[in-house]
Amino acid sequence: MLFVAEKPVGRSELARIVGATPRAVESALADLAAAYEGTGLRLQRSGDEWQIVTAPQHAAHVAAYLGADRLRVSAASLETLAVIAYKQPVTRAEVEAIRGVNCDQTIYTLASRRLIEERGRKEAPGRPILYGTTWEFLECFGLQSLDDLPQALSPEGALLEGAPTAPRETG
Amino acid sequence: MMESQAPRVSVDGFDGPLDLLLELVEEKKLDILTVRLGDLADAYLVRVRAMPSLPADEVSAFLAIASRLVLLKARSLLPSLAPLAEEEGESEEELRARLLEYAVVRERASVLGARLRAGERAFHREGGTVELPPRGGEVDALASAWTRVLALAARQREEDIVAPGERYSVEQRTAEIEALIAEQERISFATLLGDHPTVGFAVVTFIALLDLYRRGAIDLAQDELFADIAITRRERTSAQS
Repeated sequence: MLFVAEKPVGRSELARIVGATPRAVESALADLAAAYEGTGLRLQRSGDEWQIVTAPQHAAHVAAYLGADRLRVSAASLETLAVIAYKQPVTRAEVEAIRGVNCDQTIYTLASRRLIEERGRKEAPGRPILYGTTWEFLECFGLQSLDDLPQALSPEGALLEGAPTAPRETG
Repeated sequence: MMESQAPRVSVDGFDGPLDLLLELVEEKKLDILTVRLGDLADAYLVRVRAMPSLPADEVSAFLAIASRLVLLKARSLLPSLAPLAEEEGESEEELRARLLEYAVVRERASVLGARLRAGERAFHREGGTVELPPRGGEVDALASAWTRVLALAARQREEDIVAPGERYSVEQRTAEIEALIAEQERISFATLLGDHPTVGFAVVTFIALLDLYRRGAIDLAQDELFADIAITRRERTSAQS
């Protein structure tokens, strides 16, 4: 099913079709992910959705075959993307507070490149839009899931993050 | 204070006031956690002054940080001012926390940027779902179709070998059919063609029949489309009437 799927498939949908419990599906997916280790494929996960993708170490060949261009993102957009990736879901105002600059343009650019998307609205005055990263974001950065986000290396980063495995902070 | 060192004039690439502040900290090899931010006020102002003209809202963001830095510096120079209360807004520690958080963001951004430049990305399968064959795609049906194709191919090969060797003329074939029809009153087209007719043989036979029909020697009848053609002898006497 994952092979023929052109978009990520939810765990509950997999469970419903094969008539297994979500827990059994979860462990089957883990087995499959383990089986892909060292091959040209890998399982990518976003939330509870899964899809088979090519392994990042072979990206050069696949990109050449597809005629895909290397994605270029400006330093400013990367900063905005970093804030959204690690703090999602997050509003534009929150991103701007952290970066100290207006982020209209970078958010627009990132959204038009499908790296971020709207994730509903925050229950706050003005009901501002919340942003999060997309499936494409994981693909473009070769991340198997959001747990795969690179952790901060500097002491300051480690300090802010507290536990090294928690990708989210409370802002 | 260290701003006596000639500051770099190049300010391109600064992306916002926090970016500039962080740049100053790193340039002077200071620790974000311990630096007295007020000490950076002069260097910061020098940089802001050197900037090319910016949109008003961006300038205001730079100036907000600048005024904060100047205030922090003033307080450190005149400790008697120190107990200024909360209406001051952001304290040094709050600004430091912001700077710290921004430093982490910038580091993460550069790590993400490095990943992007390395180009080690994933691709998913593109191009839609797998096309399923129409219903009734049975293996047996496929096998029998293949058998028919094989039989056809075998027959055509025979034909290829036989056909060039034979030459038919319409006259000769007309004579043959006339002889046959003289013996038996009725004959079918299929019988005339035989089991494995070549195209040439079939055409010549058909033209011969048309010729005979034109001369009134035979009658032709076909019950339905593509059915066999019945050829019957016509009596000479009646044909001439």
